[in-house]
Amino acid sequence: MQNYDLITPEGTKDLLFGECTIRRSIEEKLSRLFKSRGYCEMITPGLEFFDVFNLNSSYFPQENMYKLTDSKGRLLVMRPDSTMPIARVVATRLKDAVLPLRLCYNQTVYRTEPTLKGRSDEIVQTGIELIGSQLKIADLEVISTAADSLREFGMEYSLEIGHIGIFKELVERLDVADNVKEKIRRLIETKNFPALNDILDSLGEDSVTNALKKLPGLFGGEEVFEKAEKIMPDESIRRLLNELREIYCDASEICGNGSITVDLGLVNKTDYYTGIIIKGYLQGHGEEVISGGRYDKLISEFGYDVPAVGFAVNVNGIAKAIEKNGILPAPPVTDAVVYAEPGFEAEAIKAAADLREQGLTVENALFDDLESAREYAIEKKIPKVVVIDGSSKEEE
Amino acid sequence: MTRPIRMALTKGRLEKDTVGLLEKLGFDCTAVREKGRKLILPVPDAGMEVVLAKANDVITYVEHGVCDLGVVGKDTIKEMGGKFYELVDLGFGRCKFALAAKKGSDFYSGYGIKTIATKYPNVARRFFEKKGMDTEIIKIEGSVELAPLLELADGIVDIVETGTTLRENGLEVIEDVSPISARLIANTVSLKMRHAEIERLIRLIEENI
Repeated sequence: MQNYDLITPEGTKDLLFGECTIRRSIEEKLSRLFKSRGYCEMITPGLEFFDVFNLNSSYFPQENMYKLTDSKGRLLVMRPDSTMPIARVVATRLKDAVLPLRLCYNQTVYRTEPTLKGRSDEIVQTGIELIGSQLKIADLEVISTAADSLREFGMEYSLEIGHIGIFKELVERLDVADNVKEKIRRLIETKNFPALNDILDSLGEDSVTNALKKLPGLFGGEEVFEKAEKIMPDESIRRLLNELREIYCDASEICGNGSITVDLGLVNKTDYYTGIIIKGYLQGHGEEVISGGRYDKLISEFGYDVPAVGFAVNVNGIAKAIEKNGILPAPPVTDAVVYAEPGFEAEAIKAAADLREQGLTVENALFDDLESAREYAIEKKIPKVVVIDGSSKEEE
Repeated sequence: MTRPIRMALTKGRLEKDTVGLLEKLGFDCTAVREKGRKLILPVPDAGMEVVLAKANDVITYVEHGVCDLGVVGKDTIKEMGGKFYELVDLGFGRCKFALAAKKGSDFYSGYGIKTIATKYPNVARRFFEKKGMDTEIIKIEGSVELAPLLELADGIVDIVETGTTLRENGLEVIEDVSPISARLIANTVSLKMRHAEIERLIRLIEENI
C-alpha cells in the first residue's frame, strides 16, 4: 500500500515563516479596518450540515464541496462559504439583536478545485456582512470598506460594481425555460459574445434581447451609464440603472475618481445576490481578490426576512500578489542568544526573561560549549551572545 | 512599468492564422515568423508579446493571468472549461466535433451500453449525458479512428474537418456534436485592469475578421 505520510493533499500546503508573516499581516490589517468601523467578529464551525448550502437561492454545486457524515449518518460539508453560515446564525441566535448588525469573519473555506491547475482547495477569507439596512448608505459603506481594504496593500487596484437586478429583470421578460436563462447568464458572465448573440438571435429581435446582447460589453467608467440608458427597454430597469449610477458617483467621490469601475455584465453564479455586486482586483493577480454584493432575500430562506450586503477578501490571493510584487514584510529577527555555562542554567533562563522585559527577542542557547553557541549565532545572524557564568558578560 | 500585453497563441495552424490576422492589422510580426526556438516573441508596434504554447496551456496561462489574451480552439475550451472571457469568434480554424462509427453500422440500435473512444472525454460525456445515454468512454491519445477498427469502441467523438480520414478508414459521421472555430479569450482581471489597450486591440480585430 502506498503511504502518504510525507506530503499534504493536493490543493493544500504548509505555510512557513515568511508566508505566515504575510498572511497574518493581511488578516491583521483587514481586521483592524473592519473593527474600526464597528464590525464584530464571529466564528462559525468548519463543519456544517449539507442542507445549509442546499437552499433554493444558493448555488454550491455538490461536486465542489468536501463531504463527510456525522456519527448519525447525516451529511456534513466542510464550509464552502462563510455568508450562508452567517445568515443561519443571524436568522437564529441573532434574530432579536438590534439592527443593523455589523459582522466580520476571518476563516477558511473549502472547495474542491480541478486538480493540477495550481489552485488551492483551502482559502482563507476575511470579510464583512452588514445586516438590516436597504439604504444606499449601507451599500456605500460596504463599497468604500472594500476599496479601503484593497488600498491597504499599496498595489494598483480596481474595484468594480454591477447590479444583478438589471440582468434579472431583463431575463425575466424572456419567455424561455430556466435552463436557457441559466445559459444566457453563463454566456454573459464569460463575455462570450458570439454564443450569446446566437442564442438571443434565435429568440427574436426586440429591445430585451438587444439589451441582453449589449450587457457584457457595458463595462468601464461613467460612459457606461450613457450607453446603457439608451438600450434599457423600460422604466423599471432604468430605475435600477439609475440606482447603480448614484452609487457609482458617490463611491467615486469617496474613493477617488478612476478607482471605481462598473460592469453591467457581472452576473455571478451564486445567485443569492439581489442588488449591487462588488469585485476587487489587484494588478498582476489573475483572479478577483474581493467578491460580494447585496443579498436581501437569503436570510429569509432561514426564516428571518432581513436585507444584507457584504463582501469577502481572498487572503490567499492577496498574499500571492504581495509575494509576486515583492512587498514583503520584514522577517522577525532574534536580538540575542543567552548561553549558560554548566550549572548556570536557571540564571540564564532568568537573564533571558529580563532581556525580553526590555523588549528584545531572546533565545536560549542549547549547546554544550560556548564555541557552538557562537557559531549558531553567526549562522542565524543573531548580533549578540550573552554568556551567563556568574559574572555576566555580553559579546557582539 | 507594466509589461506589454501578452497573447498566448496555440502553436501550429492557429498560430499561423493569428499571425496572418495581426499582420493584416498592420503589425510587424517578423520576430514571430523568424522565431527559431524562442517561445516569447515581441510584436513591438502592437505593444504586445506573443507566447507560443500548446492549446491546453494557452487556457492555463490565461486563467492564471500570466498571459492577458489567448487564441485557442473552441474544441479545447469545450474540453477544458475554465474561468476566462471568451470575447471573439475569430472565424478561422473552422471544423466540428462529430460522432462517427463504422460505415453502415446502426450506432443507436440495441440495448447494450456503447463504448466511445475519444481524445475529448468531457465533450463526449456531456453529449451523451444530454441524450440520457449511459456510455463507456475510453480516452485515446493518438488516432482515435483506430479504436472502432480494432473493435475497442463502437464509435468515436472527434474533430472532423473534411471527413477524409474517416472515409479512408471506413468510418462515417453519425451525428454532429458542435461546431468549432478559433476564439480570442481574455483573463478576467486583465480585461478590466488594462481595459483601454485590450479594447483597442479587440476593436481592430473585429473590424478585420
